[in-house]
Amino acid sequence: MRPRESELVTEHRTTPEAGAPIIETGGLHKHYGNIRALEDVDLDVRPGVTGLIGANGAGKTTLIRILLGLTRPTAGEVSVFGVPVSQDPAGLRARIGYMPENKCLPLDQTAADFVAYAAELAGIPSAEARRRSSETLFLVGLHEERFRYLGDFSTGMQQRVKLAQSIVHDPELVLLDEPASGLDPTGRERMLRLIARFREFGISVLFSSHILDDIERTCDWVLMLHEGRLIHSAPLDPPTEGSQVSLEVFGDPQPLIADLVSRGVSPSVEGTVITVEGLDTDGFVLVRDALASSGASVRRMGAGLSRLEDVLESATRVRHD
Amino acid sequence: MTDPGRPDQAVIVDRGYRHYEGERTGRRGAMRAIVREGFRRVIGLRRKTKHKLFPWSLIALALASVVIVVAIVWVSSSVIGSDAADDLIPRYAGYFDFISVVALLFTAYCGPQLLVPDRTHGVLNVYFSRPLSATDYLVAKGGAYAAVIYSYWLVPQLLLHLGLAALSPDGFITYLRDTTDILWKVPLAATVYFALHASLIFLASSFINRVGAATSVFLAGIYGLNLVALFFQEAITTPGARWATLVALEQHPRHIRDWIFDRSSDVVIPAQAGFGPGVSLAVVCGVVAASVGLVWWRYRRLA
Repeated sequence: MRPRESELVTEHRTTPEAGAPIIETGGLHKHYGNIRALEDVDLDVRPGVTGLIGANGAGKTTLIRILLGLTRPTAGEVSVFGVPVSQDPAGLRARIGYMPENKCLPLDQTAADFVAYAAELAGIPSAEARRRSSETLFLVGLHEERFRYLGDFSTGMQQRVKLAQSIVHDPELVLLDEPASGLDPTGRERMLRLIARFREFGISVLFSSHILDDIERTCDWVLMLHEGRLIHSAPLDPPTEGSQVSLEVFGDPQPLIADLVSRGVSPSVEGTVITVEGLDTDGFVLVRDALASSGASVRRMGAGLSRLEDVLESATRVRHD
Repeated sequence: MTDPGRPDQAVIVDRGYRHYEGERTGRRGAMRAIVREGFRRVIGLRRKTKHKLFPWSLIALALASVVIVVAIVWVSSSVIGSDAADDLIPRYAGYFDFISVVALLFTAYCGPQLLVPDRTHGVLNVYFSRPLSATDYLVAKGGAYAAVIYSYWLVPQLLLHLGLAALSPDGFITYLRDTTDILWKVPLAATVYFALHASLIFLASSFINRVGAATSVFLAGIYGLNLVALFFQEAITTPGARWATLVALEQHPRHIRDWIFDRSSDVVIPAQAGFGPGVSLAVVCGVVAASVGLVWWRYRRLA
């Protein structure tokens, strides 16, 4: 049950496993003349934070527009919250938030005015819209700057205003189209942290990106589109804290491998990438010590290096074979 | 050293997220918001000063013109006599001509302000992700435009009416009682001007992505077509040439206004070409219908 209006919400509204599908598509096709933007897409998205990944032109934005009822599919069925989109697109849009990839801000308005206006467009009465605008801008870290004109904002601040307008009307689902695009590393980090928090607010997220790392860090589930087809739909396991470490080294990996073996570890090796797993102790500490004693230089290291990259590569390889 | 337990040093670092379960106003509320926001945008409210300068200058001009007309009435009636002054001074119908250039500038400024920035700044993405259709959006923008333009036409006319009543030798109340027809004639004439101008400026603003360019195209079109019509009227003597004078779109509201006020239309191009006010009304209706259709088609594609 949703909390009362006056309550501050920090607990889960629904859990990803428990809820019914919020988005379902069956045999979804969208063609623009000879261009096949979507081809036989069958989706089943549960509540939670779901990543939608694919290269530019893979069909992500087309799928989002179809979910909003702004684009009609050429064939197939699509429903959101169990309601066919074609049946009540306006009613569904009242329950959905949308953050477009491209610019969408009137530069001559203040952040507070615009976000309040966005709330009113979704049917929130004027006085409440202003209150929610202030609260939402506080949430995205722009409370101090809320009376500044949007044209005077940096790209990162504008992205956060776009995010604020997408949640100001209390949607049950937000569709985020490349929310971290154009951001510097600090801004990107901040944006991803904000999106990850939506889970605790009980807002489901469909998060489109072509950056694998963003999806891996933020999402419970990942959908992968390639040339308009759904090539992968699976849960993302949370990163294994310390029990699995992957690293890539410069030059010859053998001294490091030998050191790791001498410490009782059986690393798997693929080229210069070494993966150590199934450890009882903290893997990072063990690998750090092995690196120090072997003198190997690290190119990159983490709790599993881009698992999605492997999936994407193998899936696209299979399709092209 | 600071005391971390003191309440006056407490800082709220996270207020969380508040769900909303109150009333939702739906499409009507959203459309009301668009009308209000459109009105504000056009006259520069809640905008930087540079956005206020032009519209408020034109508003000041319109109000100043009323003051001038009323002052002339006062001076002339006391010097020449009230009957003589009647022929010299623009009253209700004549006032439309008196401020026509300023009003047309205001009209040309407002339309693009309402439509172009939403499109060029990508704000349509936000509108159409809400429970609004392209039709709702256009109707609401039309409402905002109507609110601004009617205010611009009618508020000075109302002040003129009150000014003339105050100066009337018959007395204030008697004047108001004797001129009740003004209460429907002026709004009706303003509606004709509004319908034609709004449809044309919305058409220009729907296809041109720069505010200044849309304004210029509208003004150039309006006055350029007058010149074309004059050319056909003066220089071409073939029998069908008089039909070409109907392209003088700016002249048709004047023709209909004179019809409403039961005045002579001698100087209006379609009247000089032998067309009655009914033809002007048909032209206005046709232009409005075609423009509305094109604008709607354009926004259906954008939505």
